[in-house]
Amino acid sequence: MKKISYLVCVLSVLLVGCSAPPFRPDQISTPPLHFAVPQIEPIILTNGIRVYLKEDHELPLIQLTVMAPGGAIDDPAEKVGLASLLAKSLRTAGTASRSADQVDIDLEQLAADFSVSADTYALTLDLSLLTTDLASGLNLLQEVLRTPAFEVKRLELARKQTLEAIRRQNDHPQAIASRALLQAIYGDHPLGRTPTEATVTAISREDLLAAYQKSFSPEKLWIAVSGDFDRKQLLAGLEARFGSWPAQQPVPRILPPLVGGSAGVVIHGQKDLPQSVVMLGQVGIDKGTPDQHAVRVMNFILGGGGFNSRMMKEIREERGLAYSVYSHFQVGRLLPGPFIAQCETKSSTTIEALKLMLAAMETIREQPVRAEELHIAKESLNNSFVFSFANPHEVVTQAMRLDFYDYPDDYLESYRDKVEALSLADIQQAARDHLQPERLSIVLIGNEQGFEAPLATLGFPLERLVTP
Amino acid sequence: MNFNGLRLLLFLFFCLPNLAAAGLAERVQEHRFANGLTLLVVERHDSPTLAAYITLRVGSVDETSENRGVAHLLEHMLFKGTKTLGTKDYRQEKPLLEAIEAAGAEYDRLRLAPQPNARRIAELEAQLQTLQEQRRQYDVPQEVAELYAKNGGVGYNAFTSKDLTSYVIELPANKLELWAAIESDRMSHSIFRDFYTERQVVMEERRRSYDTNPDGLLYENLLATAFTLHPYRHPIIGWMSDIDHLSLEKTRAFHDRYYVPANTVIALVGDIDFAAAKALVERYFGKIPAGMPTPPIVADEPEQRGEKRTAISFDAEPRVMIAYHKPTLPSREDYIFDLLNGLLGEGRTSRLYQTLVVKEQQAANISTFTAPGSRYANLFVISATPRAPHTSQEVETAIYREIKRLADEEVGAAELERVRNRLRVDFLRHLQKNSALAHMLTYYQTVAGDWRYLVRYDEELASISPAEIQAAARRYFTPENRTVITLARTGGGE
Repeated sequence: MKKISYLVCVLSVLLVGCSAPPFRPDQISTPPLHFAVPQIEPIILTNGIRVYLKEDHELPLIQLTVMAPGGAIDDPAEKVGLASLLAKSLRTAGTASRSADQVDIDLEQLAADFSVSADTYALTLDLSLLTTDLASGLNLLQEVLRTPAFEVKRLELARKQTLEAIRRQNDHPQAIASRALLQAIYGDHPLGRTPTEATVTAISREDLLAAYQKSFSPEKLWIAVSGDFDRKQLLAGLEARFGSWPAQQPVPRILPPLVGGSAGVVIHGQKDLPQSVVMLGQVGIDKGTPDQHAVRVMNFILGGGGFNSRMMKEIREERGLAYSVYSHFQVGRLLPGPFIAQCETKSSTTIEALKLMLAAMETIREQPVRAEELHIAKESLNNSFVFSFANPHEVVTQAMRLDFYDYPDDYLESYRDKVEALSLADIQQAARDHLQPERLSIVLIGNEQGFEAPLATLGFPLERLVTP
Repeated sequence: MNFNGLRLLLFLFFCLPNLAAAGLAERVQEHRFANGLTLLVVERHDSPTLAAYITLRVGSVDETSENRGVAHLLEHMLFKGTKTLGTKDYRQEKPLLEAIEAAGAEYDRLRLAPQPNARRIAELEAQLQTLQEQRRQYDVPQEVAELYAKNGGVGYNAFTSKDLTSYVIELPANKLELWAAIESDRMSHSIFRDFYTERQVVMEERRRSYDTNPDGLLYENLLATAFTLHPYRHPIIGWMSDIDHLSLEKTRAFHDRYYVPANTVIALVGDIDFAAAKALVERYFGKIPAGMPTPPIVADEPEQRGEKRTAISFDAEPRVMIAYHKPTLPSREDYIFDLLNGLLGEGRTSRLYQTLVVKEQQAANISTFTAPGSRYANLFVISATPRAPHTSQEVETAIYREIKRLADEEVGAAELERVRNRLRVDFLRHLQKNSALAHMLTYYQTVAGDWRYLVRYDEELASISPAEIQAAARRYFTPENRTVITLARTGGGE
């Protein structure tokens, strides 16, 4: 193909004597890329802790990530915010042998970065330090994991900071929209709830201890390490510090089943601002959804592919209605995650932007995408696949996460083939199965007086959000 | 294509351990082409990927009242294709582009008339609409984005700051020539399609980042208050009326003047070969005429002679920012302020965090940083959110108390060493990713004039004494040199 185009070019110059057609960057030939999915095999310590290792000696740094089951999905309805407060306390409230202040001083002495976070399904600890400080870092990690102190003063400080964040939760209109939408999609379910002053105040130190004990024991612990270490020494170091920690009988994880949210409504929150947040969504997919590759490609074309997506082209590029516009399927690790689409637009184009987003969803349901669109999406996903492995710590934490959530063994190996095999019909079917106008919840945060049309004209039942 | 100057500067606080400095000095390969273009390469063969940064030494600081906002709008226009990319037939499209420009210029002129002719303005608006729709028949929308996507590119983006403009992409390592071909084409043959639509996009970006965002609004007011004369006082994106009246003619003139090899630094980091990269850059960028480097600006901010203070009313919980004028790199004071920043606001053991957040618990959060640029004298900024029922005023008082301690007492050796060590190790962390390293190299080559600033940094830092830190605190942390901006609801909150 390449040769032919050169030949044509040369011939046209010789025979006709006119200038060659302008050179185009897409005519450049590309040498092959040599790349294989890195294989990381877990090592299991005597008490069941699973360890994933990737050595990389370029810089004198080591990164560790520890995962344990837990997270907001387990928060009781009257104690929403428990997992988040547990994470903050693990980080800031000391250990049996070191005061909270001492932990901070020791970490700073090492210039170490240490954080603990809670997401929906897991608690994650991240530690980054110099090679020379590995032993000190492991000592500290062992204390935090095995003997956290939950010092009352620090625990109360973490609670006060959380309460202040709740006081500030309406400062940004995007944050209001996001909370309202998740609540509308998931209703009274952990995936739809957010912490309030009452739920955060209701959390006791005993609740934190109980949540800690539920999440942390060796058979539930996963550790990924990358960087400048010696494999044998590191494993010996982990055994020495964690080996005496007895494993417990595994308990199966029970997840609260989804409940109905408020689909098919428009929720409006009044804010006297010159720009509205337009956000809409519905229950989406989880990692077991059989057509997840088709959903990913479909969403790339709809609103996930940046400048190559329809929403971006139609709403930003052609009409100048928004700076940012996107759609996204957050693939749920265990339960279905949300599908969300969002943009911000001036008050007087709020309804127009919303209608264009809805129309884009309708079109991808009703008509097959163009073959060229499918081609771009597939090429993009498959050719950028190599970036999932560009950084050693990403390689090792990804391997750990896939096992932690029990992904199929061939998930990465088969990914590109599954994308490549998708047809136009697969994409349309995915749109029909996963974008359903009647299941959508719509949130508008903005100044209703400035909208170009009354909300009633949208034809959805209207709910009013109480915002301060 | 959003740039948050604040975030960049937070990201760039680091220094260099001797070991890493030596390592970097040996690993950066450099070439200056005949037309003035500078190429910096770090070969790193672990992953078959590369990060490419093109940084131009021009930013919003180089604008005047005639073209405020143009550096950023121009950055957007570089995403609208070239004579070959983004069009089915440029020759056919060209007359329409010219007609659009004529109608748009007339539309802008009439809107500023003393007695605007509403009927004629509406006609022109409709005409503009029609012409733009006609042009669309030749459109291949976002063809560059499409090419990069098909070839596995990620993070196709650009950033405008006060000081510079960067165009970035990461690609599989075998796509280097594709990058060179596309980017040299963008540099020389960009066509500013959909200019009037893109102005609207930038206005939406402004509403999103400043007009509906209490943090953006606070920061914008801080700069506009702290600087009286210097163009650092203006937002990178421009004020709303600036954006609404920027012309194609001015945008093109800005491009022609500043987007030239003499003003350009390229960094390529990843699985590439220096000699091959050099040859490719020579082939694609080597024939572009050198142009002239950006000259220094004339404006010299007069010394501040008294506290400046503004209270902003906005529908959000209270927050406060305090700023002090300070010199920029490569002055010794700039290094001292990096240490002051570490002492006061970096991490949980820093003085402001310990006092305000942990002990007295008057603030929920506190942070310190340098802003808004580094080519000219800048600001040391303290940003805090009070924790109810405490007020911004209480937080302010506590901050001044803590700052005064730096002026009254010398910093102990152990505390100082801890701050230095933190800067060293954070620097190492920034070397881990190809894109972060490419960013650092072009940033310092552009702002400090030589990326080796990084190599010498640690030595300079190590030579600073506690007495010098105390002297700087005394000199700069004065009420006369201070700007304070508070934000709260009118009549409520505080």
